Amino acid sequence: MKRRELLKTGAFAGAVAALRPPFGQGQDAKSNTGLTPAQSGVDASNDLAAPGWKPKFLDEHQNETLIVLSDLIIPATDTPGAKEALVNRYIDLVLAAEKPEAQKAFVNSLGFLDGESMRRYKTAFRYLKREEQDDLLHALAYAKAGSGWTGEAATADPGHTHFEFLKQQIARAYYSCEAGEKELGWDGAFAHGPYKGCEHAEGSHK
Amino acid sequence: MSGIYRLQDPLAQTYDVIVVGSGATGGWAAKQMAEAGLKVALLEAGRAVSPKEFTEHMPAYKLKYRDHSPEIARTRPVQKQCYACMEYNYEWFVNDLENPYSTPQGKPFTWQRLRILGGRSLVWGRQSYRMSDNDFKAASRDGYGDDWPISYADVAPYYDIVEKYVGITGAAEGNEMLPDGQFLPPMKMSCGEILLRERVKAKFGRTVTIGRAAVLTQNHNGRLGCHYCGPCERGCSTFSYFSSPFTTVKDAIASGNCTLITNAVVSHVDMDNATNKARGVTYVDRLTRQVKEVKGKSVILCAQALESTRILLNSSTREYPNGLGNSSGALGHYLMDHVVGGGAYGKLPGLKGKADANEPQRPNGIYIPRFRNTPTSGKHARFIRGYGFQGGADMDFNFGAEGYGTQFKNAVKEGEYQISMGGFGESLARWDNFVEIDKDLKDAWGIPALRISMTHGENEAALMEDAAVTAAEMLEATGAREIKLQASVEMPGMAIHELGTARMGTDAKKSVLNTFNQTHDVKNVFVMDGASFVSSACQNPTLSMMAITVRACANLIDRFKKSEV
Repeated sequence: MKRRELLKTGAFAGAVAALRPPFGQGQDAKSNTGLTPAQSGVDASNDLAAPGWKPKFLDEHQNETLIVLSDLIIPATDTPGAKEALVNRYIDLVLAAEKPEAQKAFVNSLGFLDGESMRRYKTAFRYLKREEQDDLLHALAYAKAGSGWTGEAATADPGHTHFEFLKQQIARAYYSCEAGEKELGWDGAFAHGPYKGCEHAEGSHK
Repeated sequence: MSGIYRLQDPLAQTYDVIVVGSGATGGWAAKQMAEAGLKVALLEAGRAVSPKEFTEHMPAYKLKYRDHSPEIARTRPVQKQCYACMEYNYEWFVNDLENPYSTPQGKPFTWQRLRILGGRSLVWGRQSYRMSDNDFKAASRDGYGDDWPISYADVAPYYDIVEKYVGITGAAEGNEMLPDGQFLPPMKMSCGEILLRERVKAKFGRTVTIGRAAVLTQNHNGRLGCHYCGPCERGCSTFSYFSSPFTTVKDAIASGNCTLITNAVVSHVDMDNATNKARGVTYVDRLTRQVKEVKGKSVILCAQALESTRILLNSSTREYPNGLGNSSGALGHYLMDHVVGGGAYGKLPGLKGKADANEPQRPNGIYIPRFRNTPTSGKHARFIRGYGFQGGADMDFNFGAEGYGTQFKNAVKEGEYQISMGGFGESLARWDNFVEIDKDLKDAWGIPALRISMTHGENEAALMEDAAVTAAEMLEATGAREIKLQASVEMPGMAIHELGTARMGTDAKKSVLNTFNQTHDVKNVFVMDGASFVSSACQNPTLSMMAITVRACANLIDRFKKSEV
């Protein structure tokens, strides 16, 4: 490559650069530091708890349905559950930034739940009685087995697939939040001494 | 302004050595040459890095998307395919919109790169294995391809030097395929890994060892031992894993002989055609777009295999119309990247315990050296060369537990003992896997971009198919249940072990570099990174790249002493 060519293209690139945001700017960065928000020390852990929160992507019915579903999948016990951990807000935040196909997949699965509810009870899932919600979720939560009489294999089970997809989204949201980390027993420290590994006598694992 | 860390105008002087790239090999080249008293300019395309931006101790819940940001894909759709490109650190990786490359239809290649001081040494997997003469002389043993022009004995002393400085944890095994080295104390194995080691040795005679990793298990060379927090790829406040900015580059600058120039995107080597010698390099300032020249008596390219070759291809002159150092026509050819995608995973219900969120996080796994086509095993009927396994076994939280409600919540905490292993197979050197300049594509700095053309072949597919089967049989022997096979061939580039494209050899008509990484054509231009590899072996290559660099630098220092440069 010749220096003259480079000067020419470099100058052109410079002119183009003047017309648009500077290169190297992070997708979410406020300035051209070349640092991610995390590397800049930004703490976003309380953003979702802000008063006056409204969903960015989900509509009101979808959001309320998600709150009800998340509370059933990861309920409060002696630790907070998914509802208290505001997993609906996190999922909404991620969905708002997702590609259309990912958004559609989530809405479809939530829609399937409501569809099943309407088919069985003529009522949307969020308005069912607690026993009815449990009945419906039990029907979806476990993979179908084939026939024990004829040996015929089970047919594809879209209900279970939709349920598992929603459950995994809720679980990911819950176990990545501070309440979820505490639920798993994390003490908040980052280092816990050397890795000890197996401390059993040699040959003791048979 | 760009980061130039000397008071004088760094472009006014003529350096003894210009080193392009500050990663694993560039750091070594700068350190060796500067500590030998030579004046070095170290050019890095990215910015400087500071420990203040390390995030290894930041919990995911402090991040906007808790490390699941869909936004990264907007600017880094390729980089996001790398496990280490995260919401924490994505700015270390190149912006794919600024740094394009092309591939032919049907031949995808993922090129994962960083542009920051230290390059990929900031996020590398740290696995560090020697190659043996079963690798250096593989062609003589099975008839495929070419031997390296150097042998294990040539490189062994330099492995020693690198290992002693870097600090490699590991255990000596006396394995014929995996020479032992200068090890710090090994990390411990888990119960499941001990079980695997015992059963696999008893049933198959294969070695299962703890990973050999560039992570300190004790204080070493002024750096602290690992505190087992886990996510090394986000930086390390105790510098316990090896990365060049805080070791080799730091030493080079401390010598007083190294001038670091950051944000210097090198486009090409400048030639003095009258003497057939390089007189320096030209770069574009990443931030200002100004085009600048650095003058030097010698040029060492350590920009990463494909980037170094790109610079040479972009350095064509009337005398070298097809790229500098390319009289052989071999420049750009014989691209390799380890094949991955074969392995297996399962559960070990026989091992009891409970998942523990406060367990120290070992930044290392287990390793199973190649056991196919070895002197002991003899030749395999379906493929040549072989693969090694990396993996691990430990109790972990059971996020895939079935059901819902309190039962699910409890099952997650209860955890399950999981075991997995994945193969890294040799990628055969083939002429038709190559890079060239895409005449229609330039990066954001106006520098012509690469067109990368690579596929894995039938031998690589056979390796991964076999890896799936042998992984499953070893898991089965360990008592694993619910074993799942993986026998796919991932797209080239996924191993992030790009090698070749400026191979070394004794025949100048068939190779680009001589045995000391010097281009056959231009005596003061060197390539000291993975581009020089003749074959890929199946071991992670960075340790070998560093050792070969130190060896080449030792030779170059001698030549400087003899005034031969």
